[in-house]
Amino acid sequence: MNNDQELKLQAFLDGELPARERPAVADWLAADAEARALQQEWALTRSALAGGEPPRPLPESREFYWSKIQREILRGEKAGARAAARRAVPWWRRLLVPTAGLAVLTLGLSVALNYWPPGRQPHVVETALADSGAFTYRDLKEGITLVWLSYPADSGLADDAGADIIE
Amino acid sequence: MAGAERLNSLLPPSVEPMTGNAQHSAAADETLVKAAQKGDMGAFEELVARHRDKIYARAYSMMRNEDDALDLSQEAWVKGWQRLQQFQGDASFGTWMTRIVINLCLDALRRRKRQQAESVEVLNEEAGGVERHMPVMTVNPTEGLERAELRERIDRAMAQLTYEHRTVLILHEFEEMEYKQIAKVMDCSIGTVMSRLFYARRRLAALMANWKDEDEGTNTPDKQKP
Amino acid sequence: MRQKLRSPSRLGWWLALFLPLALAAPCALAGDLKLEALLVWGTNDARSPDPDHKPVGADLLKKLRSFPLKWTNYFEVNRQQLAVPSAGAKRTSLSKECEILVKNTGSGELELVIFGKGQRVGHIKQALPKGELLVTGGNAPNFTAWFVVLRQVD
Repeated sequence: MNNDQELKLQAFLDGELPARERPAVADWLAADAEARALQQEWALTRSALAGGEPPRPLPESREFYWSKIQREILRGEKAGARAAARRAVPWWRRLLVPTAGLAVLTLGLSVALNYWPPGRQPHVVETALADSGAFTYRDLKEGITLVWLSYPADSGLADDAGADIIE
Repeated sequence: MAGAERLNSLLPPSVEPMTGNAQHSAAADETLVKAAQKGDMGAFEELVARHRDKIYARAYSMMRNEDDALDLSQEAWVKGWQRLQQFQGDASFGTWMTRIVINLCLDALRRRKRQQAESVEVLNEEAGGVERHMPVMTVNPTEGLERAELRERIDRAMAQLTYEHRTVLILHEFEEMEYKQIAKVMDCSIGTVMSRLFYARRRLAALMANWKDEDEGTNTPDKQKP
Repeated sequence: MRQKLRSPSRLGWWLALFLPLALAAPCALAGDLKLEALLVWGTNDARSPDPDHKPVGADLLKKLRSFPLKWTNYFEVNRQQLAVPSAGAKRTSLSKECEILVKNTGSGELELVIFGKGQRVGHIKQALPKGELLVTGGNAPNFTAWFVVLRQVD
């Protein structure tokens, strides 16, 4: 008996075989001892299983068992109510928070970029004259930068009449 | 009656008077389902009380584990409450609940299987394996057994099967489901259902016959054909 | 249902409020750079010969005194406000001999060019965040000093 025949025989005995195939299998079953042996084995197994499923009483009291179910049901309903409340809010209102957040973020970024640009050190300091006394002083804590040019005293211009820049 | 009224008046509003439970316990399942569908949790609790053993037993038969069976059966009841509006009464409430717990158990078993490497034994079983060629058992495994003893043997034999074979047997023999229903529940083809059922039956017969032989002092099953 | 009918107009209000704000903020902030330029004279004399010169404010005095080159007193000679448009420049005179040119690069930096007697004597390019000072200085006759103090104003 090959596998197809075995499965066909099983389907026949389970009443699952299409009507048109049943007569052929019935004839084969009547003629084949091996098929009949298999049929008998399944009949014995089925009779053993019928009513043979062991009862398995719940190991917890009715109240205790129910209390956990009830707790989960109530928790689920609360979560459902919250979700429903969220769904009840129109879509555009749900967009308000992210939109406002985006606006604040953009604003903050703009402010940050304008007030605290990267690189707070002077990028370029150049003097037009050969000024050996020029220097840059920076106090990060106080937020002050001094660029000392020593102009015009060290350049010779200071000696000129009326060269005082304060004038 | 006056005493009962006095007692009820002392109860906080959240405590359901005993008369309510008494009404529920006398009601038919259909009545309780309708009440539960309208939000009566007391009616649902009565349904749980009536069917809890069956639902738990089905979970246990599939999971073979008390803790899993408790968790999954309780989860099934929670799902039952949540989907109660979908219950149309096509099958009995008990059958409907059993389908829910079976689905939950199968999901849990599939998750568990994914976490484990597939054993050689399972591969063999799926392929037809050596068991397909085992001799036909002609010994009656139930003969001379007390009912309790028979149940104990069936339980032991079922525990020896892989979850796919055990499930297909449970669904076909105990839940009386057709091949196509089993295929749908187990998410496989009808051919696979037939193959698994064939193997499960043969394996179960062999296990029970062997134990019977062991009890009778012989290890050789009565072989009709090699 | 009423809520739904009202929703587009409300949405419009919120979008009208937030979106222009969000979109315009960078543009507005990247716009005019409002600056204040001060010409300061540092001297060890107690008084300035020019009665119009006033001592600088306490905050500025504290900062100027923190420099490595120190004078006893600092007098404010001139003060100018200038709004420099983005990618634009403004030139202003702080004294007869001193002029400054400020360029707004539009990328958060400014360029300061100092002119003495019409001559370009210094060029500084750097960021000037609000609250910070860019001070350019040099020697003046009689061991005094000049300072150009530049800062952002609101």
